[in-house]
Amino acid sequence: MIAIQCEHVDFHVRKKQILHDVTFSIYPGEIAGLLGPNGVGKSSLLRILSGVMPPSQGCVKLFGQTAGVSTLGDTAVLADRGKLPAWLTCDQWIQFARKIFPDWDDDRAAHLIEELEIKKEAKLSSLSRGEEARMQLLTCMARRSRIVLLDEPFTGVDLLTRERIATTVVKSLADGERAFLIATHDIREMESLFDRIVFLQDGKVRAVDAVEDLRERGYSVESRYREVFA
Amino acid sequence: MTLMEPWRPPAISLDTNRSFFEQFADMIRSAIAKGELQAGQRIIAVREFASIFRVNPNTVMRTYADLEREGFLQTFRGQGTFVTKDPSILEKSKKVLARLAYEKWEETAKSLGMTIEQIIEIARKENEEGEKL
Repeated sequence: MIAIQCEHVDFHVRKKQILHDVTFSIYPGEIAGLLGPNGVGKSSLLRILSGVMPPSQGCVKLFGQTAGVSTLGDTAVLADRGKLPAWLTCDQWIQFARKIFPDWDDDRAAHLIEELEIKKEAKLSSLSRGEEARMQLLTCMARRSRIVLLDEPFTGVDLLTRERIATTVVKSLADGERAFLIATHDIREMESLFDRIVFLQDGKVRAVDAVEDLRERGYSVESRYREVFA
Repeated sequence: MTLMEPWRPPAISLDTNRSFFEQFADMIRSAIAKGELQAGQRIIAVREFASIFRVNPNTVMRTYADLEREGFLQTFRGQGTFVTKDPSILEKSKKVLARLAYEKWEETAKSLGMTIEQIIEIARKENEEGEKL
């Protein structure tokens, strides 16, 4: 079974073509990176994969089901620059989220509050960028969704929080059923996390690589990134 | 069964251009060769190992499976993964590490268009001259 199957996806807004013939597959148990500079269509692609926006052409299947309303319950998304309701405290937000997500898991949430050191009483408006990123990650990971899409989770976040986010991702994978796709333009210190890399440029897939294969050929993700985008 | 603490790998940073499962295997083999990891000792679970290095547990699983095939590790359902209870394991790990070192030398020698013996000869001379100075 393929977790994320993206086939010949085109996307345009009026005459502007954002994505051209995007094709790749991600398997259960994988942590995949969607890499590319800013503005190449990573966020548009994630929106299409998450089922909230249909492609102009082509098709996306998540565990065999066409992405759309029916897959929303099995897909957790961390949106780039997504905003949490500032007037709530962390705990009020968690209480709200557990009601809107049918696959919310209270045990996981309790565990994540501890692991990500969430200050339950703090107002969301008072959180630092790193604390907010951790809170958003919790909102994704407290769900049982088999597909997790994270859009730029490391941006503007300090190194320790980056590492903590990465550790949480690794730990939440243990059952091997989940698949992660993490869009980022910045791979510093995070490259060990990825098993598969999809390189996107100007709305096109430039390369898809299994990372251990790259390493066996003497490449790092970073050196391959330079080669692809040079 | 001994009540030894399970062995944890050192939290060093990995080479990003060498395969991780091989680096993990090197860590375990050399811990055995140095006596830090003893016959019969348990090593931490795949999941814990993976979260130290923030890598996919699959990669660590591959290392454990490779080392089981080589006879260094044994996994018992519900109990965990252990270093094989075999007094010759120390010798065996040294042999494997020596072979790996040899392969690396061979590669270097080849890239220089020399034999390993020539390299050793040069290194020995340099060393002697260094001592004279």
